[in-house]
Amino acid sequence: MASALRSAILRHIRVPVTNSLSLSGSAVRSMSSHGDDHLDKQAVIDRVIHVVKSFPKVDPSKVTPDVHFQKDLGLDSLDTVEIVMALEEEFKLEIPDKEADKIDSCHLAIEYIHNHPIAN
Amino acid sequence: MASTVKYLRVPPNSASLEEARRRVFDFFKTACRSIPTIMEIYTIDDVVTPSQLRSIVASEIRKNAHISNPKVIDMLLFKGTEELNNIVEHSKQRHHILGQYVLGRPEITPDSATKDQGSEYLKNFFRSNYF
Repeated sequence: MASALRSAILRHIRVPVTNSLSLSGSAVRSMSSHGDDHLDKQAVIDRVIHVVKSFPKVDPSKVTPDVHFQKDLGLDSLDTVEIVMALEEEFKLEIPDKEADKIDSCHLAIEYIHNHPIAN
Repeated sequence: MASTVKYLRVPPNSASLEEARRRVFDFFKTACRSIPTIMEIYTIDDVVTPSQLRSIVASEIRKNAHISNPKVIDMLLFKGTEELNNIVEHSKQRHHILGQYVLGRPEITPDSATKDQGSEYLKNFFRSNYF
């Protein structure tokens, strides 16, 4: 009944169509459902810290966004690889070996993930 | 079922300890990436979490961390890859996985580690005939 009423009204009224999106003005695909290309940086930081804190060998109170895995947390290289794998699982990424070797601190991990276009 | 783990088709001799080390990390990463498949095949989602499985794999690798001969490391990697292939191809069964890798680890099954094993007399009895 409401739809009949609506169509009856619309037949007699001109409703102006407002074009709120000007395609020439916005460079980003505004209709795209892909969402933001990059995750929110603070969300990335929080999730990375959460992953590092859940690592059983890590003392959660020492974890900061700048902590170095081997120097500050006292982990060895195998633990570093394990943390990188845990981050891969968390963000559903697959990090190539060359990049993964460079990640040895929280700061680098956050930067890499934040700049990765597919990180979820 | 096709093997999802690529065999380490590399020359059997690592040139140096550094190269062997690199191969160990590659093996570890391959194992970690197969963990979701393993959890699905053997339906162990309610027993362990992926992060615990990662720690288990790491501790197995760490048991041989003291080895310094690259050829021995190659041999161990070959055995490890073979084991991983067996697991991923469903050649094993759930109780193999659980018995060999999950049970008996203090961080995963803490209750069995603290079970009372008996009195002092029994402990001595189990240890030897003469006490």
